[in-house]
Amino acid sequence: MISFKHVSKIYPPNIVGVEAVNLHIGPGEFVSIVGQSGTGKSTLAKLLFAEERPTRGTIEIGGWDITHIRHHEIPLLRRQMGVVFQDFKLLPRKTVYENVSFALQVAGSAPRRIREVVPVVLGIVNLHDMFDRYPHQLSGGEQQRVAIARSLVHQPKVLVADEPTGNLDALNAREILDLLKKINEFGTTVVLVTHDRDLVNRVRRRVITLEGGKIVSDVEEGRYKL
Amino acid sequence: MILSIYRVSKFAIQNFWRNFWLSLITITMLVLTLLTVNILVVLNFVTDRAIQAVADRVEVSVYFHANASETSVQNAVTYLRSLQQVRDVATISADEALEQFAARHQDDETIMKSLEEIGTNPFGPSLIVKAHEVADFNTVLEALENPQFRDNIREKDFSNYEAIITRIKDTTDRIRTFGIVLSGIFLLIAVLIVFNTVRMGLFIHREEIGIMKLVGASNAFVRAPFLLEMVLLSVVALAVTALLLYPTLAVLEPKFGFYFGGQTVGLINYFEQNGWRLFGLQLAGLVFLTLFSTWLAMRKYLKV
Repeated sequence: MISFKHVSKIYPPNIVGVEAVNLHIGPGEFVSIVGQSGTGKSTLAKLLFAEERPTRGTIEIGGWDITHIRHHEIPLLRRQMGVVFQDFKLLPRKTVYENVSFALQVAGSAPRRIREVVPVVLGIVNLHDMFDRYPHQLSGGEQQRVAIARSLVHQPKVLVADEPTGNLDALNAREILDLLKKINEFGTTVVLVTHDRDLVNRVRRRVITLEGGKIVSDVEEGRYKL
Repeated sequence: MILSIYRVSKFAIQNFWRNFWLSLITITMLVLTLLTVNILVVLNFVTDRAIQAVADRVEVSVYFHANASETSVQNAVTYLRSLQQVRDVATISADEALEQFAARHQDDETIMKSLEEIGTNPFGPSLIVKAHEVADFNTVLEALENPQFRDNIREKDFSNYEAIITRIKDTTDRIRTFGIVLSGIFLLIAVLIVFNTVRMGLFIHREEIGIMKLVGASNAFVRAPFLLEMVLLSVVALAVTALLLYPTLAVLEPKFGFYFGGQTVGLINYFEQNGWRLFGLQLAGLVFLTLFSTWLAMRKYLKV
């Protein structure tokens, strides 16, 4: 599904983002990428959704070599991938429904499909009674669930969650984790980038640990060790 | 495709309303530019009409002696009409000249009494010669020196309007140059304002743009609303210009008529007949300009 071969990302003048990363993530896996701040976790996530390009090595997603992905191909990649961030990235002047449908609108989906899909994904994240609320009327956990719903509308094969619980309290963080696990159970590959020890220990799935831009451990059913 | 056009249009209209004051400033600047251009068009038209009106009035009046034979006058008419430069030759017989004189001075007792005392018609026949161009009158005046009828001519009255025409041309050329410079300045300011409007728009919508890119919007879809918004501003600016221009012309037209001997200048008629072409060209120019400016701003500030 996802394959990194000898991938390095060096920022000018000579700052290492990640170095000589080799990893393979299979379809339907739930992988936590952990490490302290500045170890290259977010760089790895950015390489996944082509926000950054590798300096060396090759990256493949679903057999598609995105190492030298062209500008006009990036939207196609992102429509097959869901991305969730710590700061939710919701549009404050749009309602919950509009925020989620926005992703389909800009991708050119027909209104009928939008009317069908949006309520379903909002149901999955348990927001079926909050369609008309604005982000400021929601809790942090609810806002993150909207962001997850938005990332799911394209029915992505991969969901990349970059510190999705960074702005949430423990209870909301657990809810988001449960939601990610539920999405994973539907067959979506989930890549969770986090430095939240409790979260990783609760998942009890594969854990890849980064240090200084390099993979220092890759353990099935691992725990946060740093 | 239609769906994308609809959504891009929707986003463009949203941008327009959300940045209403910015849009208003941009439209104002575009309107000022268009008004200057249209003032130049009006100036051009009125100048042409003024020069034409003056040129139409230019004529040579040729007065023959009272005893000049009709054959001699007829020879002169035939000869003058044979000249390429001559547009028209009108003949006024001695009797017609007397009638016209009497009609003109019917209220002046002294003149009428003097005329009675003379007892005979003191007027000779006369010709009114019109040429195609003001410069052609030199040829006409030379032609009147023909020995065949030169001696029968008592007087040649040529009001030289060439100096007036030159003065009109000089003045309007100066105004036109000033107008072109002013248009250029307004155009430059308009380009800068459009550039800034787009830059501000990109800044205001940076969050939305980021999310659009994140969820897989194509580059064209991200850029299109900004381009369309500028087309929209151009159309609104043109409509406002037209709305301001027509009533202004309606007010000005009679005032211009005063200088054209009460005749209509035909300004409104000119704009009605050529409006589509004139405004179409202005819209095309404006759209090109605003799109170019938008493209520059996006190239600098929008990384998609």
